[in-house]
Amino acid sequence: MILFNSRLSLTLLAGLATLAFAQSSNAPAKAKPIAPIKFSDTRLDNGLRVILVEDHYAPVYSIAVSYAVGSKDERPGRTGFAHLFEHMMFKGSENVGAGEHFFLIFNYGGNMNGTTNTDRTVYYEELPKNQLDMGLFLESDRMRSLAITKENLENQRQAVKEERRLGLDNQPYGYSNDRLNELTYDNFAYHHSVIGSMQDLDAASVEDVQAFFRTYYAPNNAALAIVGDIDSKETLAKVQKYFGSIPRQEAPKPVDLTEPPMTGERREAMEDKLARLAQVSINYRIPSAASADGPALSALSSILGGGETSRLYQKLVKEKEVCSGINAFSSERLGPGAIRITCTVRQGKTLQEAEGLISEEISRIIAAPVTDQELARVKASARRSAVAVRTSSLSRAISLANDASVYNDPNRLNTEPEKLMAVSAADVQRVARTYLRSENRVLLETTPAAKPAASPKPQVP
Amino acid sequence: MLRTFLLVSSVSLGALLAQPPQAQQATDFKGVVRKNLVPVSNEVLRVKFPKPVESKLKNGMTLLVLEDHRSPTFQVSIRMPASSLNDPAELEGIGSATSALLRLGTKTRTSLQIADTLQELGASLNASIGERYAAISFSALSENLDPLLALVEDVMFNPSFPQDELDKWKNRQISQLQQSRAQPGFLGQERLFAVLYPGDVRSRIAPTPESIGKITRDLVVDYYNRNFRPAGGIVAVSGDVSPKEIAAKLDKVLGEWKGSAPKPPELPIPGPIAEKKIFLIDRPNSVQTTLYISNLAFDRSSPDYIPAEVANQILGSGPASRLFRNIREDKGYTYGIGSFFSASHYTNIFVVSTSVRTEVTGPALEEIFKELVNIREQVVPADELEGARRALVASFALSTENAAAGLSNALTIKDYGFPADYWDTYPEKISKVTAEDVQRIAKKYIPVDNAQIVAVGDASKLRTVLAKFGPVEEYDSDGHKK
Repeated sequence: MILFNSRLSLTLLAGLATLAFAQSSNAPAKAKPIAPIKFSDTRLDNGLRVILVEDHYAPVYSIAVSYAVGSKDERPGRTGFAHLFEHMMFKGSENVGAGEHFFLIFNYGGNMNGTTNTDRTVYYEELPKNQLDMGLFLESDRMRSLAITKENLENQRQAVKEERRLGLDNQPYGYSNDRLNELTYDNFAYHHSVIGSMQDLDAASVEDVQAFFRTYYAPNNAALAIVGDIDSKETLAKVQKYFGSIPRQEAPKPVDLTEPPMTGERREAMEDKLARLAQVSINYRIPSAASADGPALSALSSILGGGETSRLYQKLVKEKEVCSGINAFSSERLGPGAIRITCTVRQGKTLQEAEGLISEEISRIIAAPVTDQELARVKASARRSAVAVRTSSLSRAISLANDASVYNDPNRLNTEPEKLMAVSAADVQRVARTYLRSENRVLLETTPAAKPAASPKPQVP
Repeated sequence: MLRTFLLVSSVSLGALLAQPPQAQQATDFKGVVRKNLVPVSNEVLRVKFPKPVESKLKNGMTLLVLEDHRSPTFQVSIRMPASSLNDPAELEGIGSATSALLRLGTKTRTSLQIADTLQELGASLNASIGERYAAISFSALSENLDPLLALVEDVMFNPSFPQDELDKWKNRQISQLQQSRAQPGFLGQERLFAVLYPGDVRSRIAPTPESIGKITRDLVVDYYNRNFRPAGGIVAVSGDVSPKEIAAKLDKVLGEWKGSAPKPPELPIPGPIAEKKIFLIDRPNSVQTTLYISNLAFDRSSPDYIPAEVANQILGSGPASRLFRNIREDKGYTYGIGSFFSASHYTNIFVVSTSVRTEVTGPALEEIFKELVNIREQVVPADELEGARRALVASFALSTENAAAGLSNALTIKDYGFPADYWDTYPEKISKVTAEDVQRIAKKYIPVDNAQIVAVGDASKLRTVLAKFGPVEEYDSDGHKK
């Protein structure tokens, strides 16, 4: 991410169509039908996919450009490079000076950021509607003609290393997430972290940046979404004017994301110099978010560990008081993902107690179907998240661009919630049986390395 | 915790800011190369926020309703005058305990039943108490307004504050406090507020294991009954509701409910601390130094608030600001840096905040101080001033996307007794801020010789470096003076 204070979380569950809603005993009213989010979907001759949504509520528009390149495309010795490259996209192009991009956006009342994950890199701006040309010019100029200098690379290498220190090296449990992923994935694509190693960040060269730009930052490898107070026809003409002449490049070779199946549980223990409490984190390997099992896996992880009503929270936090907090979620990835469970163990309790109780709950959700009520609750929460996306032009722009570039399907914003509404208790039990097997499990224990300076304060029972 | 002041404002903007661009002078925008080839519109949009409909509920509370039918959801906040600043030090955390327990049991519902119902309704429900208000806030899919109101009524008027839920809440709090102590931000802010408001309730940002240990069920019941009272309160509603319908439904829930809470305390707004000092919090194995450079400034009622927004926009608000361009873009010492004024009834502080790798702690502080000196000593160039004023006003357009911003503006007017046209005249006030105003504000509030510096990091690597900037006082990561 280029900037610290991103205004929105990128884990958006987007829009939705008319939904059938299971009636439950607590008598929520019958769900009102919600119209799908309508968009136009055009491809320019150079391959750039252009998605437009008109929404005239506020004099604002948002633009998002998603490039189908992420850390999965990196090679050994260059981990962290896709994200370092994201930073270079703000260091100038033929007609835009280094740093002028965010200087202009913020001085004209806008907001912007960029963010990289395993599968894609997305750049976005939110601006008053009279600055449509500014946004289009800035995005097109860097797609056409990124200016790459050694000095700028050196400077952003430092910023990225600070980003790594801030988010990882200087945080309790900072290394646990990376280690768990290394244990989960054998294929290099997902085995290594998005932020990368300090050593690899140091090794990145200007030549690497140039080659990466040519290969991946081509119009035919990108999706552009604009949402807000725009005229679609006029906007499409402007997009054609700014982006139409950027040459197409040879399509990058798709990366093999497949994983050899796991043949047994993987476990490891590590120490953390900054943590004060022990933590256990568990991954169960699951397939791509685009697989047919995706919606049932999402429901399964919510029922297991999504919030206060979930089974793990009720058992481990409330009833047994083993964890101070616990959660479970399923990842949104193009390639193989994971259901991740994380529990921070209270002082006086043990990792073994936590792991034993988690295993009991896993066995229980495999043995018997979830209740209709549990399923209805998950669907109500999902519906609430799905409608929230409508009041933000930026959320919609990012979702549309992301889904177009990663899944080749911008309409996921409308169809994914629908699919979740169709999940049955039998579906949940089937995916629980399939994926929550112990030979498919990776478990990492993190314990504080040494006791911090002895506290004279008494412990309260 | 630190609050950045958010700019959410209603505007009916004249041609005031649409001035012709100033003659270009050779301003050095360090960290940025300006080619000036990007097409920009110099028009600043005239934007208007919808204003909430105001009425009175039967029990005397004020009702504000802002309709927004784009998505089938609504939000309600019942705000009751009360103050956590009245809480005694030995019971720090009782407000949080009461707020948490409120949704963990009624005479007929267990905590799990409450949570299940909320999830089935696509709803959330939270209670809180802060400096000026206790609040019960809830939201849901709009088709579930009636069942949610039934639950809220039960929670508000039949809470049971179960003993076992309290015991478990206390255990969780103590674990969470331990986790907080692993975070450099927590350690830094704990020290910062202790430094800025010594011997005052504002010096505490979190409970202690001892204060949590002293909280009993009787105290919680008493706290709820005394502090969650409606007199003088406001119910703020936004979303997919009609003002008439929601008024009738709220009257049904709240009925003739009356009573007032103890008044918020009178606390002084102290002036800046005179002597420069450095507070080093030892966090062994840190690879960064987390820095706060701060002093006391002004409260929200001060006429300096508006010129200070412009001054801070230039100095440290966002990536176009001097601190970001210099410390991150030019020097590469940090991932992020910013400054802000936090001004409310009770807080009056200025802070620069950043994290830098341990090895460059000294050079980073030198560069930060160069910028603080510069904005005090040099008149801000015309084009830089213009950019800052325009940024503040033009960003209003973005906040109109969120209907709740209009409601929040109306609440600010009520909270601080501002004139009804406060936000209508706001852009004009921003546009009149001069370079002299910026310099006057900087000299008055941006600390150099009297800076209070809080540094969290590996003390063994920082002691000598920091001593160059002033006298150093050292603490351990449990908050004790070494």
